Amino acid sequence: MTDRLLVRFALIYLAILLVSFASAGILVEGQVRQEMTEQITEDLLNEGRVITNLSVPDIQKNLSSLQVGSRSRVTVIDPAGIVIGDSSGSFMKFDNHLNRPEIQASRLRGQGVSIRYSSTLKVDMLYVALPLRNTDQKIIAYIRLARPLIEVEKAAQTFRRSLLLSILPVLGLSILLAFVFVAKIILPVRKMAAFTAKISSGHRRGPLRIDSQDEIGRLARNINQMVAVLEEKIAQEAEEKGILNAAFESMVEGLIVLDDRNRIERVNRALVEMTGYPAETLVNKTPLETFRNAALHQALDRFNQTHEPLLVEIILDQEKVRMMEVSISAIRDLPHAVQKTILVFHDVTKLKQLEKTRVDFVANVSHEIKTPLTNIIGFVETLGEGKVSDQETRRRFLATIRENALRLNRLVNDLLTLSNIELGEAKLHLEDVDPTDVLESVLSMMSGVLKEKNLHIGRSITEHLPSIQGDRDRLSQILINILDNAVKYTPEGGTITIEASRMAQEVVIRISDTGIGIPKSEIPKLGERFYRVDKARSRQLGGTGLGLSIVKHLMKAHGGRMIIDSNPGKGTTVSLYFPV
Amino acid sequence: MEDKRHTSIQYEKELQDVKESLLYMGAMTEKSIAQAVGSLLERDSDLARRVMCDDDLIDRLDVEIEEKCIRLLALRQPAARDLRFITTAIKINGHLERIGDMAANIAEKAIILNDMPQIKPYIDLPRMAEIAREMIRESLDALVHEDQELARKVKADDTVIDQMNEQIFRELFTFMMEDPRKIHASLIIMQISKNLERISDHATGIADMVIYMITGQTVRHQPSCETKAND
Repeated sequence: MTDRLLVRFALIYLAILLVSFASAGILVEGQVRQEMTEQITEDLLNEGRVITNLSVPDIQKNLSSLQVGSRSRVTVIDPAGIVIGDSSGSFMKFDNHLNRPEIQASRLRGQGVSIRYSSTLKVDMLYVALPLRNTDQKIIAYIRLARPLIEVEKAAQTFRRSLLLSILPVLGLSILLAFVFVAKIILPVRKMAAFTAKISSGHRRGPLRIDSQDEIGRLARNINQMVAVLEEKIAQEAEEKGILNAAFESMVEGLIVLDDRNRIERVNRALVEMTGYPAETLVNKTPLETFRNAALHQALDRFNQTHEPLLVEIILDQEKVRMMEVSISAIRDLPHAVQKTILVFHDVTKLKQLEKTRVDFVANVSHEIKTPLTNIIGFVETLGEGKVSDQETRRRFLATIRENALRLNRLVNDLLTLSNIELGEAKLHLEDVDPTDVLESVLSMMSGVLKEKNLHIGRSITEHLPSIQGDRDRLSQILINILDNAVKYTPEGGTITIEASRMAQEVVIRISDTGIGIPKSEIPKLGERFYRVDKARSRQLGGTGLGLSIVKHLMKAHGGRMIIDSNPGKGTTVSLYFPV
Repeated sequence: MEDKRHTSIQYEKELQDVKESLLYMGAMTEKSIAQAVGSLLERDSDLARRVMCDDDLIDRLDVEIEEKCIRLLALRQPAARDLRFITTAIKINGHLERIGDMAANIAEKAIILNDMPQIKPYIDLPRMAEIAREMIRESLDALVHEDQELARKVKADDTVIDQMNEQIFRELFTFMMEDPRKIHASLIIMQISKNLERISDHATGIADMVIYMITGQTVRHQPSCETKAND
């Protein structure tokens, strides 16, 4: 580009120079030639006039001296056109000269001038002819003088040479000018071009440096200013975008942006974590393709028809079940009026579980209380009607009423204990307790029940176990609850093994049974209030559904933990870990 | 994704629509299976009744998809890969509809079972349902991504389901022999297990069709016995 600009500029400059010099040279040369020719003509005419004062014979005799004198060839021609004398000598063979233009002119106007190219001398010749008259004014001969115009030619050449010589300094000057032009305009323009190219490719470093006060300098300053303003704007935009991006990514809610074809355009980190699908597998697919969720698809369908924001609850069960609240709404005021949709995923699994626990708890408590109450009311009503006269039956009825009342009492006690523990109000009377001691006392307390069910007891208790910090009564309660469960769920003739040992900084009490066991999937739910693996059987066995829940909380209060391991059909092992 | 754009955008859209509808139907059947088995586990007969209602929706989808496919065949006269896709879609549609029926069947049986005492904890049934759902999902994934490998994996999963079904049968036989009162419930559980096994067969059918669509080879009906030409 710039190279072409320089070349073009130089060519135009040169052309102007050449044309002006050439036209001036041609004009001036013509002038010079004309003036010189006129002068020579005048000269010859004067010479000729002098000669015409002589007589023809005189002239014929003195031709050679006349030639020298006039510095021209002298020819004498009679009125008929025959050459009768010539300073060059042999004139006999000459043609008739009457028709030569100069002779004709001199015959008619008294003098004739003509310039012709002489093929013999190979030069322009100037011919001047004058008539020679006698006293009667009658023409008796013509005198013709001829001189080659070599001088004119020479003068023209000299002029041309000097003209050429004078061009050289001008050319030099113009080259100098061209350099100045390049330095002043083309170089800065090139610099600007390179600079702007760098800006657009994003590799700019520092401002554009052109120190000049003219228009170029102003342009450069304007470019610098423009770049500065643009960069500030871009930086602002980038910052804003960065903030929005960070906000998008760090939202707790999972976000999906759908493009105008209902394909996933982008998702945030929370969504990836929530759903377990990597971002790459989500982008550019429809939600149906990835989530395969009918409810979500229906909601999106409805949204696409009404464009009203809506809220839908869906269940995602890829790997683990999660309840999601998804709100669907349009992204408004996008540039180019693009239609985009945003899906906000809110994980409500925990919330739903809590809600369920609460509802279940109320339902369970009511149910648990209602069952014995119904019994009591029924028997009391029957007795109240006074229709039961048989003493034995009455006693049996009263015994049932008592049993149900006791059951209610137990339930209320358990509930109170649990709520106290949960509220952290149950004060533990901490003291150093020998675990063997507690175990022995609990076993002796329960020996009656164990015998009744014909259960074998296996013991493996390490001697001299370190004492643990705990509340004796509460520790007994823990062991009773666990053993009670073991007894309840172990069929007659089964074995219950009790182990106690020290492991690192903990005392471990392990109670294993050969009972019906618990399915693996149910184990995490044990310890929830009123949770029973087999509802019917548990109630039949007189459980309140709160035993393990109490144990779990008491273990926590003692700083210990409980681990349950079980094989359905083979038995259950409950391990209690107490810190020493 | 590979470039297989059609000159007519509308045509392209219609093909995409069929694909989406199949996915939707797949999602519906998956949900129905999960809820049907869920209604059994949770002893929630209301949920089971909802599943039976949802089957009407699946049946409607079946009709819709078939109409869409027939319209495409009649108006666009598809060739080669599109033709294979549409015929495959029609057959997959049929499989999905049957799966929906099976799910409704399971729900129906669940309602009956929920009125009886539970004879055993359900361990294998939910596992079977889980695998069957995965098979449906994966067979449709294979369709969408034209993934032959995935389709073959689905076919392999069918064996697992068959084994589980047999195991449940064996287990229930012992129950029935031990206690005749458990025969009714056991038979119903067997039917549920059989339904799940049939669902997995249909999922395998979908996978077969997907393989046919991708390769043009029929992998259905592998010979079950070798017939010797020269004896």
